[in-house]
Amino acid sequence: MLNFFNPIVTLLLQEGLRARFDLMRYAAANPDLSKFLVIGALLFIIGVAGVLTRRNIIVIFMSIELILNAANLNFIAFSRYLHEMGSVNAAAGQIFTVFVIVVAAAEAAIGLGIVIALYRNKETIWVDEIDLLKW
Amino acid sequence: MTLSGYEALFFWIFGLAAIFAGLLTVMARNAVHSALFLISSLVSVAALFILARAEFIAGVQILVYVGGVMVLFLFVIMLVNVSAEERGQEEIFNNQRQVTASLIFCLLLVGGVLYSVNQGYQGLKALHPTTPEVAAAQAATREQSLPTSATGSSKITNDSQGLGGVLYRYASLPFEIASVLLLVAIIGSVMLARTLRQEASADDVDPETLQDEIRRDSEFARLEPKSE
Repeated sequence: MLNFFNPIVTLLLQEGLRARFDLMRYAAANPDLSKFLVIGALLFIIGVAGVLTRRNIIVIFMSIELILNAANLNFIAFSRYLHEMGSVNAAAGQIFTVFVIVVAAAEAAIGLGIVIALYRNKETIWVDEIDLLKW
Repeated sequence: MTLSGYEALFFWIFGLAAIFAGLLTVMARNAVHSALFLISSLVSVAALFILARAEFIAGVQILVYVGGVMVLFLFVIMLVNVSAEERGQEEIFNNQRQVTASLIFCLLLVGGVLYSVNQGYQGLKALHPTTPEVAAAQAATREQSLPTSATGSSKITNDSQGLGGVLYRYASLPFEIASVLLLVAIIGSVMLARTLRQEASADDVDPETLQDEIRRDSEFARLEPKSE
């Protein structure tokens, strides 16, 4: 499919730019470990931004799930990479992911229990109105 | 590890879907919409797990996260539903100064993390120099040795089998500890989510607090323990 665009691209781009473009196209057509890491990093930062900017405590919990999931993606990508490099303990990354999921489930259960108790006592889920420990 | 062909196409589709759904999770006004976008982000990441040959983890991700944790989230959103948020009267972000500061922090974090991923990956590539073609050829030869499935069009991997073996051989103690952790979490959340009425009927309230409540609401007097 990309062959169709090649003459147009050749016409449009100068030599140095074209070499760069070819390199980028080659990298995009063959995503490797670093692309998994970049997607994991972006998901992590979106989660951090959610935790820092939102007022709704439930959405903050969801952002934390996003952060944990980004960490899982990194574990899985490195596990696959080490597997292909012939490491004997390559499954360790996948096992760690299982435990991260377990801890995330426990954290969600406890956190949502706290949210319900808080809503019952304070009638709010906005974090800037929950300032009992602040003076 | 290098994906190629349709795997590369699906990698970009699911990777971008995960990132966009994550962004919409953070930016949606309604918390239910946030939860649904988070579900689609988690499913996209599960697809990325499948592309990285972690089928078992992808299944666990969908069963536990989407089937368990997100349903719990939706229940709690329904329980504490705040209608002012949906009508658009309430500000969903913190005040302007805090948002600006945290976005600047996040941009710095993006720059730092992407720079370090790039640098670190250059070093890793220097350590194990393989071109995608060589890696693909190696993967193809490895796949030839796997058993063929009943339809004859695909191969059966033994990754999940290996994962189970390693999980019980090397990580059986953490596995048991994780089950205790889950039990503690369940008991703890049940304790946290009780109402005062339920606590009083289980005789689990500070007597002074109970007296205060009885003064405010005579209904509680009936719940007082009859032991004395």
